[in-house]
Amino acid sequence: MDLHILDHRLRVTSICKNGLVNFTHPLIKLIFLRNRARCKFFSLTETPENYTVVLDEEGFKELQPSEHLLVESSVWLPLNVVSNGNSSSSSQAVGVTKIAKSVIAPLAQQHVSVFMLSTYQTDFILVREKDLAVVINTLEEEFNIYREVGGEYSAVLSQDVHNGFQKNGKEAPQLTVHPLLIPQNQFCVMSLDPDTLPAIATTLIDVLFYSDSPKEGALPSQDLDCIKFFSFSLIDGYVSLVMDTEAQRQFPADLLFTSSSRELWRMVRIGGQPLGFGKLPFNPSSERPTINECGIVAQISQPLADNDISAYYISTFSFDHALVPEEDIVSVTEMLRQHRKEPAC
Amino acid sequence: MSGSKPDILWSPHHADRYVICDSELGLYRIGPVGCSETKAGALPLSVETAATLLAINSDTPYMKCVAWYPKHEPECLLAVGQANGRVVLTSLGQSHNSKCKELMGKEFVPKHARQCNTLAWNPVDSNWLAAGLDKHRADFSVLIWDISSKFSPEASVAAEKIRLSSGDTDSGLVVTKPLYELGQNDACLSLCWLPRDQKLLLAGMHRNLAIFDLRNTSQKTFVNTKAIQGVTVDPHFPDRVASFFEGQVAIWDLRKFEKPVLTLTEQPKPLTKVAWCPTRMGLLATLTRDSNIIRLYDMQHTPTPIGDETEPTIIERSVQPSNSLIGSFAWHPTSQNRMVVVSAANRVMTDFTVFERISLAWSSTTSLMWACGRHLYECAEGVGGEGTVEKDIATKMRQRAQSRYGHDTVQVWKNHLLAGGDDPQLKSLWYTLFFMKQYTEDVEQKQQGSKQALVYSGIKNIVKSSSGTTENRRCWSGSDRQTDVPRFHSEERSLALRLCGWINRGPDINVEPFLRSLEGEGEWERAAAVALFNLDIRRAIQILNKGASAERGDLNLNVVAMALSGYTDEKSSLWREMCSSLRLQLKNPYLCVMFAFLTSEPGTYDGVLYESSVAVTDRVAFACMFLNDSQLPRYMEKLTSEMKEVGNLEGILLTGLTKDGVDLMESYVDRTGDVQTASFCMLKGSPGEVVKDPRVQCWIENYRNLLDAWRFWHKRAEFDIHRSKLDPSSKPLAQVFVSCNFCGKSISYSCSAMPHQGRGFSQYGVSGSPTKSKVTSCPGCRKPLPRCALCLMNMGTPVSNCPGTGHGTGKSDEKVDLTRENKLAQFNNWFTWCHNCRHGGHAGHILSWFRDHTECPVSACTCKCMQLDTTGNLVPSDSH
Repeated sequence: MDLHILDHRLRVTSICKNGLVNFTHPLIKLIFLRNRARCKFFSLTETPENYTVVLDEEGFKELQPSEHLLVESSVWLPLNVVSNGNSSSSSQAVGVTKIAKSVIAPLAQQHVSVFMLSTYQTDFILVREKDLAVVINTLEEEFNIYREVGGEYSAVLSQDVHNGFQKNGKEAPQLTVHPLLIPQNQFCVMSLDPDTLPAIATTLIDVLFYSDSPKEGALPSQDLDCIKFFSFSLIDGYVSLVMDTEAQRQFPADLLFTSSSRELWRMVRIGGQPLGFGKLPFNPSSERPTINECGIVAQISQPLADNDISAYYISTFSFDHALVPEEDIVSVTEMLRQHRKEPAC
Repeated sequence: MSGSKPDILWSPHHADRYVICDSELGLYRIGPVGCSETKAGALPLSVETAATLLAINSDTPYMKCVAWYPKHEPECLLAVGQANGRVVLTSLGQSHNSKCKELMGKEFVPKHARQCNTLAWNPVDSNWLAAGLDKHRADFSVLIWDISSKFSPEASVAAEKIRLSSGDTDSGLVVTKPLYELGQNDACLSLCWLPRDQKLLLAGMHRNLAIFDLRNTSQKTFVNTKAIQGVTVDPHFPDRVASFFEGQVAIWDLRKFEKPVLTLTEQPKPLTKVAWCPTRMGLLATLTRDSNIIRLYDMQHTPTPIGDETEPTIIERSVQPSNSLIGSFAWHPTSQNRMVVVSAANRVMTDFTVFERISLAWSSTTSLMWACGRHLYECAEGVGGEGTVEKDIATKMRQRAQSRYGHDTVQVWKNHLLAGGDDPQLKSLWYTLFFMKQYTEDVEQKQQGSKQALVYSGIKNIVKSSSGTTENRRCWSGSDRQTDVPRFHSEERSLALRLCGWINRGPDINVEPFLRSLEGEGEWERAAAVALFNLDIRRAIQILNKGASAERGDLNLNVVAMALSGYTDEKSSLWREMCSSLRLQLKNPYLCVMFAFLTSEPGTYDGVLYESSVAVTDRVAFACMFLNDSQLPRYMEKLTSEMKEVGNLEGILLTGLTKDGVDLMESYVDRTGDVQTASFCMLKGSPGEVVKDPRVQCWIENYRNLLDAWRFWHKRAEFDIHRSKLDPSSKPLAQVFVSCNFCGKSISYSCSAMPHQGRGFSQYGVSGSPTKSKVTSCPGCRKPLPRCALCLMNMGTPVSNCPGTGHGTGKSDEKVDLTRENKLAQFNNWFTWCHNCRHGGHAGHILSWFRDHTECPVSACTCKCMQLDTTGNLVPSDSH
C-alpha cells in the first residue's frame, strides 16, 4: 500500500451561522468559478452549529478575516491511501474502514489528531504539518510513503524528517468517551460532472445558504430526530456531495451520480449535543473534542473495521460524523453501545 | 455534452466514412467533389473532396467519449461513454445485421456513477470493451465489459439492492457485472490495448501509467508520471507509446518502462489530442487547445530503443490545415498522411494531407533522386534528347574521361575531338596548345632555347617584346593598284601568326595551306576573310564562288563575291557608302568584317577587332598584321582582360600558361565547373610555375576525386601517371616496403639499390628471366622469404600458373613487354597480405582464392580478410 502526502496546504476554518452572509461571495466564487479562484481543495460542510470550510492557502486568501470566521491555527496536510492495484482484498467494506487499522489506529496511539474527510471519490486523512514527522515515522512500516511535490511523487524516508521528529508528549491518554447521536435522516453520497455545476447552481445555492428559511412541513434542525447536514467538496476537479434524501429531492435526478444500487446511509454523530466548541480556540489549554483530541476517529472506526462495515467519515470543526449503510445501522448502534461499556479498545 | 469539444473517428473498415461527435453523432461519407453521390448537400472539405452527411444520432446525451467497433460486422456500431459512467452501444444509419440489432441500446452500468473518460475495444476479442472511469473511493476505475453478456440478476450483487428503474431491467439490456474490474480507488483517464497480447491493457491512471495483465489481475506494472492522458500505441512499433500531460508529450518504450525515453518540447497550451500516423512510420501529430496548427514530430530516424547516450533526432514542424481553430483531427486509416480536421466551432471540416518532407540526393553521376512519401523520383539527363539541352558538365567530363580526353600528348589538337569536337573554345584551346608544343619542338631542333619559355607565355607577352618591326605597303595581289594599308612584320609577329595557326613554320607568310584546310572544312566565309586580310581579293572571291557551288553551299556567297569584286578605294564612292552601312545586316561575322576591313580607314579597324563573333585567333592574327607597335599591346591587353572576365578559353592564346592564364582558367572553371580541361591544360604548362599554383592543385585534386567518385580508378591511375610525367614533383614516394622478417631490412631497397624504389618489386620474379632474377631469400641476410599461403612457395618465386588469366610468366624471357596482360601477370607476383591476420602470398593466388572464399586461406585462421577491406567489394566502373 502507498501513502501519498498530497501537495496541498490546508486550513480548517469555521463560519458561524449568522456570519455566513459575509462570506457568500467568496464561497460562490470558490464553488462555481473554479478557474478564477485558484483553489484546488475546497470543502464546505454545513452542520446545525456552523459551516466548516477546509481549503488550501490559495482559497484561504479569498476569505476575509472576520469575527465570524474561526481559523484553526495549524496548516494541515492531506494524506491519501492508494491501494496500488492490489485489489486482492476480500473485504467488501469501503472507506474509512479499510484504513482504520493501518492508519487511524496507529496514529491514535501516537496521539496524533486527525481530521477525516471522506468524499465520493476517496478518503482524505488530514494531519497537522507539525505532526508529519511522527506520522511518517509511525506509518512507514506499513506504507510506502510518497510526497507530492509539483505534481511528481517522491519517496519519503523517515530519516529525511527526523529533525522535526518529536513524540507527542503524553502517553495514550484516558479516552474521553463522547456521547453518540444517531439522527433519523437518510443520507446519500453523490458526485457530479463539474461541467454541469452551473446547471444545479441555483439549487445548490438554495440548499447551502438558505437552508434555514422556513419550509412547509419541515421542522427546523432543532429536531433531534433529524439534523441538518450538507457537505460539498471540490477537490482536484472532483465534486462530491453528501446530503440527506430531503435535500436530494431538490436536485435534478439525472445530473447527480451515485451508485447503481442507490444505497442510503445513516449517520452516527459523535458528541450528542453541540459542545460550544467555537468558543474554545481562545482557550488553548482546553482540549477540543474533535480536532485536538486524538482517537475519536479510531474509537468508532475500529469497531466498524472489526465487523467489516463500510463507513464514510466527515470531521467538522465541532463534531465527527460517520456514515454507515442504512441496513447496518442497528448492528452498528448495538456494537458501539457495547463497545463503550468496555473501555479498552 | 453541450460546449464540449468535437472529436472525429474514422471508420475502421470504410476508408470513406467518419463520425463526428460533439453533442450528437454525425456519420459522413467523403468523396470527390462533383461526384454524383456527393452532389446534393455536400460540404466541401478541400479543393477535391466533399463530405455528405449520411446519418445523425442524438439518442445519447452527455457523451464523453466514443469508440468504433473494430470488426467488419456490425459495421457501424459505436460505444458511447457518458458523463455518468454508463456505456451505451449505439449505431448510425440503417443496419440489417441481426447481431447489431441485438446489441443496439445495450447499456453497461458501473456500480458507482462517475464520468466515463475513455473507451477502448479489444482489437482481438472484439466483445471486450474497456472503459476508463473517474475515481470512486470504493469502486474500480477500469471496467472491462463483455458486450455479449446478458443481464442476469442472480449473477450480480444482491438483486434486491439494485434499485434500477424498472424500464431498464425489463428490457434486459442493462449489464452491471463487468468481466474485469481494475484500478480500485483510482481514476482512469486514458486506455489502450497493447498489441503484444490481447490481455494487456495500458491505462493512464491518476498520476501513473499502469499495464494491467488480465491473465493475472492482481499484478500490474506501473510507473509514476504525470503524463497519463491520451495513451496511444505506435502502430508501427508495438512497444512505443505516447502519452501527454498539459503541454508535454512523453514517449515511452514498454521494454524500458521506468521513465520516458523521450519528452517532446513543451507547448505553452495544454494538449488535447496526440495521434500516431497509421500510414507513416514514427510520425506523431499533436494538437493543443485554441490552436489552428497541428504540430508534427517525425521520429522516423530516431533509433529504437533509444540509447542513453545518443541525442535522438526528431524533426518538428507545424501544419495549418485551415484558418479556424481546430477542435480535433483524425488520421485517415489507409490514405497516406491524410487527416480530417474539424473546427472547434460550427463543425467545419477540412480534408488535409500532410505533405511529406522531401529528401534529395545527387548521385555521383549527375542523376538526382528525391523521395517524397512512398514515392521515389529520379531525374536523370535525357538520353535521347541531345541538342535541345546542353548536357551537364559532369556528364560531359565523364564521357570525356572515358574517351581518354586530355591523354593525347602527341597530336595535342586531337583532344578537342576526344572531347566531342563540338566546343569551339576547347578546339581553340587544344590547337593553341598544339601550336605552342609544335613550336617548342621546332625550336629545340634548331637549338634556339631562348624562345622556348616565351612561347608558353602567350601572344600578349610575345608581342610586348617585339622589336624591329618593319612596315610595308603591298599591292592587292592580282591587281597592281597600290594599297594604302600598312602591314607590319617582325619575328615575334610571325610567331604570333604561327600560334594563331595562320602560317606554318618558316619565315614566309604563306597562308595558302591554312586557306586550303579551311576550305576543306567548309568554312568558306572565314577562308575568304583570311584571304582578304592577306590582301588577296581575287582569292577571296574565288573561295566564295567555290563555297556557293559546293554541296549544300549558300548561293548568297556569290552575291557577296559580286559585292566584293566591286571594291574601290575611292573614299566617297557609292560602293563604300553602301557597303559600310549594309554590312551590318550580314549575318555571318566573317562576311561582315570583310566589308568592315575594306571600308575602314588604315589603322582604325575596330569593326574587325571588336567583332566578338569572330574567332579570337583570327582577330589576334589580324591585329598582329595591321596594328602598329603602340596599338598592338594595348589591343592585346584589352582583349586579354575581356577574355579573363568571361573565362573564354580562346584567351589562352593570349595569356599562355602563365598566372594570367590561371586567372582566365579560374573564371572558366567558375563558369563551367570543368576541372578536367583545367587540369589537363595546366599540366601542359609544367615547365612554368603555374602547376604549383594552389588553384591548379585544387582543380587537379578535384578531378582526381571526381574520377574516384565515379569509380574510374583506372582512369584516375592513368591521370596520375600522365600527371607525374608532366610534373615529376607530383610523383608519390614509395609508401609500402616489404621488410625481411629476420633482419628487418627492406628487401626491395637493399638488394636493388635502384633509385626507383617503386620498381623494386619487379626484381622478384617479374622482369627478366625467372631463373636469373629469382630471388627467394632476403638479399640482406639470405634467409628465405615467407611462403605464399596458397602455393607454399617462397615469395619471389614467380607465379607459374595463374588461374585467372591462364598466362604463365615463364615465357617472357625477353624484354618486359608492357601489354595489359603482362602488367596483370606482373601484378600476380606481387606480395600481398592481410593487415589483420598477416597471412598473405602472391597477389594472383590470393585474389583467385577470395573469389570463392571469405575466410583466410591459412587453415585454422578464421579471419575474413577480404571483408575487412571496405572497398574490396567495389568494382571499378571503368574496368575494361
